[in-house]
Amino acid sequence: MTNSIASDPDAIEAERLRVLRSFDILDTDPEQAFDDVMLLAARICDAPIGMVSLAVGDRQWFKAREGVDVPEIGPASSFSRYAMRQPGVTLVRDARLDPLFADHPLVTGQSGFRFYAGAPLIDDQGLALGALCVIDTRPRPQGLDETQLMTMDVLARQVMALLERRRALRERRRSDEAATAAVEAARLVTEKLAESDARFQAIADSMPQMVWSSRPDGHHDYYNARWYAFTGAAEGSALGDAWGEMIHPEDQERARTAWRASLSTGEPYEVEYRLLHHTGSYAWTLSRAMPIRDGSGAVTRWFGTGTDIAEMKRLEQAKALLSQELSHRIKNIFAVISALLALSARQYPEAKAFAKAARTRISALARAHEFVRPHTESSRPSLDGTTLHAFLRDLFLPYDDEAGRPRVVVSGDDADFDDQAATPVALLFHELATNAAKYGALSVPDGRVALTTLRQGERYVMTWRERGGPLLKGTPQGAGFGSSLLALSVEGQLGGALEQVWAPGGLEVVADIPATALAPRRAAGQFA
Amino acid sequence: MTARILIIEDEALVAMELRFVLEDLGYEVVGTAPDARTARALASRGGVELALVDIHLTDGATGVGLGQELGEGFGVTVLYMTANPGMVSHGVPGTMGVLTKPTDEGCVRGAVEYALHLRRGEPAPVVPDGLQMFG
Repeated sequence: MTNSIASDPDAIEAERLRVLRSFDILDTDPEQAFDDVMLLAARICDAPIGMVSLAVGDRQWFKAREGVDVPEIGPASSFSRYAMRQPGVTLVRDARLDPLFADHPLVTGQSGFRFYAGAPLIDDQGLALGALCVIDTRPRPQGLDETQLMTMDVLARQVMALLERRRALRERRRSDEAATAAVEAARLVTEKLAESDARFQAIADSMPQMVWSSRPDGHHDYYNARWYAFTGAAEGSALGDAWGEMIHPEDQERARTAWRASLSTGEPYEVEYRLLHHTGSYAWTLSRAMPIRDGSGAVTRWFGTGTDIAEMKRLEQAKALLSQELSHRIKNIFAVISALLALSARQYPEAKAFAKAARTRISALARAHEFVRPHTESSRPSLDGTTLHAFLRDLFLPYDDEAGRPRVVVSGDDADFDDQAATPVALLFHELATNAAKYGALSVPDGRVALTTLRQGERYVMTWRERGGPLLKGTPQGAGFGSSLLALSVEGQLGGALEQVWAPGGLEVVADIPATALAPRRAAGQFA
Repeated sequence: MTARILIIEDEALVAMELRFVLEDLGYEVVGTAPDARTARALASRGGVELALVDIHLTDGATGVGLGQELGEGFGVTVLYMTANPGMVSHGVPGTMGVLTKPTDEGCVRGAVEYALHLRRGEPAPVVPDGLQMFG
């Protein structure tokens, strides 16, 4: 006991209560071991009454009692509360003659206590918890003899030993309980896991999608009901590595390669393959999987889905076929119109020049639309792709010099263009090139044209600069309709500004258009 | 230089215009076929030196196989004329090259002359604009 507790009665009471509770004894039933000790003390002291009395807060509670009817009494009434504070065995030889107890109700009343002997119950920390006492209704002037005193002392320590044993037992029971609780908790976790697994399976089985899971080593350990329904495989037959056999032979290697890559990198898995359908044919499916990771980031499981995309594939193919067909017909219309013009002009030889000019314009349009129509791998008109620069280089091919070097040199920022911009763009550069071939730089072998396209913020500026052509003397006559077409294309259709300067050194044309004008559909967010 | 030429083209107006252009140049057009069957029938009569073959015909994209058949089976020099040169860009056995449509009289004249020179083993000028040779 520390000094601070020793000097504070409230603290002593609290500590005593704590210690008594640690024995787990308060208000328990009588026990043979305590009764035996108490009865032995009473017998040896030849006393009719005996008690093991513990000081519990404001009451005195008896763990064992003989000759008393009540299980406890108030503290003021207690001989033991006094005796436990005294060193050694306290003796009250005749209570009627003792100033401390003469007026005590147990002395003056029916109980008629006269003689009291109490040995304090002291714990290993020196704290008094109560007393082992014997009581007689006859006074005993001679007190107790030496054997009896020694017996009281020894049996009081025996009571303490019983209490200590209780505490030890209780602690063992507690650690047993803790162990049991841990085992129980582990069982509950296992049960919960099984339950959550069962719940997952219930959800997965009710999904219209195919669902599967795999161990980190790639061993498939679960497929949902939909998967078995789709494939017609026997339940459990695809576990492990057998899934690969369900895939179309042409797609197997691709799927396995993607799966191995995901297993080794932990990257999400996504692959399209044809899966054997229960009807016996193969159906296109999209297979995807995500890794589940533990706290350390290691993959613990893969969860995957399979989606039937056969219908999507069919629509895609139908759409591609349709747009191919439409493109082909549009192209044919250009060819037919061109042929019709040529055939018509045969009847009117004076219209031959007109027909030729019109046909080259139509040809430029057809070329431009060939660049912007939907393409498959094999239908692409140019290896350079379908950008504006690729189209322009293609359009200017006929003007290459003898050695095959371009005379119209295209440079600057390239851009995508779509079908809406194809017509004005084709007309603009076709007119510029044919005019240059008639009157400008392309009309002489050494003439050159520099075409620079620059993205300037929201603007796209295309500059056509002719050099090395015949000396210009102001605005040429006879370029009327061609100029109108230029203005119509740039200002009318592309929403830009057109500036033409017939400088003595060569024509300079600046077409300044909104950057979005080249691909208005894309700018509007439609990728049709 | 004259020659017997077969036109295989499904658009009648385009075929007719091509026939006029070739006839103006002094060639003899033995016929125009809109599909593979007609083309085979015309070629089997013999004497065709050069065929200009469109790829998409009225019976589908049969031009590629037809060109090979005419070249290997009938000894005809074959030039494809198509808006989709990508379809034959890897070359087709038994055929010579491809002209990209739309084309003009100049290109047609240059390509036909060049092909006939090669056929007859005569020294040929440079490959004309617009003609892509196989191999």
